[in-house]
Formats: sequence, C-alpha cells, structure tokens
Amino acid sequence: MQFQNISKSYAQNCIFDSFNLEIEAHTILSVVGPSGEGKTTLLQIAAGLVELDGGRVIKEAEEQGSISYLFQEPRLLPSSTVFSNVELALRSFVSSRTEREAVVLHYLKMVGLSDSACLYPAQLSGGMRQRVAIARAFAHPAKLMLLDEPFQSLDIKLKVTLLNAFIRLWEESPRTTLFVTHDPKEAILLGDAVCCLGDPKKPLLYQKIHIPRKARNIGDQTLLAVEASLVQALVSS
Amino acid sequence: MHSVKRSLILFLSSALLLVVWQLGSVVLDSQILLPGLGPVFSALIELVQGGPFFANVFITIIRALQSFVIIVASATVIGLLGGKFPLFSLALKPFVTVLKAIPVMSIILLAFIWFTSGTVPLFSAFLMGFPVMYVQIEGGVRQMDKSLDEMCRLYDIRGRDKLFHYTIPSILPFFIIGSRSALSMVWKVVIAAEVLTVPRFGVGARMQLAQVQLETDKVLSWTLIAVLLTAVFDLLFDASVWAFGKLKKRVDRGRAICNSKT
Repeated sequence: MQFQNISKSYAQNCIFDSFNLEIEAHTILSVVGPSGEGKTTLLQIAAGLVELDGGRVIKEAEEQGSISYLFQEPRLLPSSTVFSNVELALRSFVSSRTEREAVVLHYLKMVGLSDSACLYPAQLSGGMRQRVAIARAFAHPAKLMLLDEPFQSLDIKLKVTLLNAFIRLWEESPRTTLFVTHDPKEAILLGDAVCCLGDPKKPLLYQKIHIPRKARNIGDQTLLAVEASLVQALVSS
Repeated sequence: MHSVKRSLILFLSSALLLVVWQLGSVVLDSQILLPGLGPVFSALIELVQGGPFFANVFITIIRALQSFVIIVASATVIGLLGGKFPLFSLALKPFVTVLKAIPVMSIILLAFIWFTSGTVPLFSAFLMGFPVMYVQIEGGVRQMDKSLDEMCRLYDIRGRDKLFHYTIPSILPFFIIGSRSALSMVWKVVIAAEVLTVPRFGVGARMQLAQVQLETDKVLSWTLIAVLLTAVFDLLFDASVWAFGKLKKRVDRGRAICNSKT
C-alpha cells in the first residue's frame, strides 16, 4: 500500500503535505509519533474514513475492499457472545456456516479463548476482551490490517501476552499491516519497518528491521539502537 | 434468607395497610366515608358474581391494551426517526413538551367534546403515554455507541446482523423502560377517562355510578379491581421481559456450546 503525495489539513492545522509512505505487502509498518501529528489520521486515510485534500492511496488488488481494524478499545457487541462477535465479521464473506464455525473456533483457540465462546463481553476481563478483538481481526478475511494502539493502557504482563498472541496469528496469516503506537518498544517488537511522524512533508525516520519477529528480544543491541533512533526522532519533532 | 426477609417485610407492610384501613373505618364509623374490610370484600364478591362484571373488566382491558399497542408502535417508529434525524426531533419538541405538561383531566375533557365516550379513554391514554415512550426511544437512539457503528461498517457486518446484534440490543433497555411506564400510565388514564365520560361498559364507568349512589364499598371494590389489573399486567410484562432474556441467552449459549463441542 502506498500513500502518494497525500495532503490533509484540519482548519489551519496541516497534518500531511505531499507526504509519501509505503508499506510492503505482507509486512508490518510501525508508525510512532507525538500526539496530533497524524497517526490516527493516517489510519483513517488508509481505511477511507476521511477525504484527502490531495494525493492518493494505492492499494494492491488483494488489499482492496474491506479492512481488518484493531481499535484502542475492543469494541465488542455487548449483547452478543464471544463466538458471535467473531462470527459476525465473517458472515459477509463466508457463506458456509460450518466453515465459519471452524474459522471462529480456530482463532478463539489461537488466543486461548475456546472455553469462553459462550460468554458475553461483560463476563470477560479487559485483556480477554482485547484477545477477542484480535481473534475477530484475524478471522476477518481482509488482507489489509490497521492497528490503532490496541495494546495501550495495558499492564506490561498483559501487553506481552497480547503481543505474543498477535505475532502468532500474524505469522500464521501475514497481511499488510499499519500499526500505530506511541510506544517505541511495541513498534520495534512488531514492525518489519518503523517510521516516525512529526513533519507533514516526510517521515522523520524510516528504518527497516531485519531480525525475524519471533527472535526479537528487547535487550538486543540492534533493536536498542533502533529504539534510541526512534526516541531521538520523537524528542526532536 | 434475603428473599425471605423481603417477603416478610412486604407481607407486614401490606398487613399494616389493611389494619390502618380497618382502624380508620372503626374510628369514622360511617359506611359512606370509609367502609370496613368486611363490607368491601362482600361488595367485591357481589360484583364478581354480578352479570356485567366481566364485560366491564374486559372492555377496560381491551381499551388499555389497544392504547398501549398504539403507543408502543407509534412512539417506537417516531422515536427512531427523532433519534436518527435531529431536525425531525426538533420539529416534534413543541408537541412533546405540551403533551408532557398538559393535565390529564384537560385532555379527557377536550376529548369528550370531540369524540364519543368509548373513544375518549383510548385517545386520552394515547396522548398521555406517547411522550413517555417517545422520549425513551429517542434518547436510546441518541445514546447508541457510535464506535460500535463504525466497527460494524469497517467489518462489513450485514444489515440484518447489525439490526439484531447492535441496533435492537442498544435500544431494547430504553424500549422496556418506556413501554413499562406507558403501560402503568395507560390504566390510570383509561379508568379516569371512563369515570368522566361514563361509557356503557368499563371499570371507571361502574366506579362513577357507584359514587353517584354513595356506594363507597363498591367504589373501593372497583378500585381494588383496577389495582389488581395494573399489578397483573405489570407482572405479565416483567415476566415476558424475563422470559425473552432467558430465551435469548439460551439460544446464544446453546449455539456457542454446540460449536465448541464440534
């Protein structure tokens, strides 16, 4: 997916001005940036939720159409069971009920919630609800995935659990992913490339990470160096 | 233990009410001002055994249910439109405000000028109950979680699924509160309208005739019947809501459990 010369302003506030960015197919691009510098706007542009003042977004054929979206909060339907919450996202795409059920159960198992299929969101903890949201995002067949800080405001243990669940699912079914976060550590643990916003015309930093995701360790010198660059770019923006 | 305690308190307070009634009757010593429990229950049995009793009760029930159904149907449709379109809601605001403020007796008296005595209870109950239900539905639509709406859109959730899993569950609590309030109000207004307009049949009409003949025991008997009707229908309403909730959970859980076992 490519953002080609995109421009977007809100009143007098210019967010993007002929800005260019590319996400390679089947990779994760982590985007960090200070508040108000366009992280959420970039996601909304990718999702087609806001109109551009200029430029265009080019998507690969398989990335066209619907989008899989992980929000900051789980956004589950409160009166539907865990099972239904995941299954509903599939109904427009998979007509066979048996097939749908198999997909839902597979993803619930992958996030460790097979036994909670008949529970309602109110009966789950915050972390379990976010795991349902992750299962829904992956059960949905879209090849473009947008992540809007889904791991924020979680304690560190839960964050690591969810990041691992996410990585497991993503490795099983890789899709072009735009991951927005304000946490440089999350960005380097997930991204195939990291990017820092802060200038409407170009990214302040764009760097690829070649270490395989599963082998990444937060204490690794290469990752620490990338994190330091990101922090420096954030501070200087 | 808690529910036993609750039942005991309810029983004791009901018994206290009857004791106060009986004491008041003994102190006043007048069958016209306040007859005792005995004469009232005798009058009640006499009424029930009388020929037109069931016709009177039946007609009142039909009037109340008819107006309730009309209120629920119209206030739901108009409330949905009001919640969805702010301009429509604004245009309705003066009507709703006037209806909420107008005294019930004014409506009944005006309706009696315009309509026959049989239609007045229906019309009056509709005008009094409509704003109660409308305000709830309109508020419910406005309070729907917009972030869930956005989620449904992004995940391409089908219109029918969105209706049953998002729209209806979001509005249902407001629908239940509104319709329950409207149901309670309908009985009061229908009987009050029957008292004022004295149609051929109806609990209120019988109450009025008994009052004119200074048969206080019969007035109180008809009042007890009115209270009983309201209580029974409130109970039926709550039971239906409970049964619906149970049924929904059973369907949901049955399906999920069934799927987990495959």
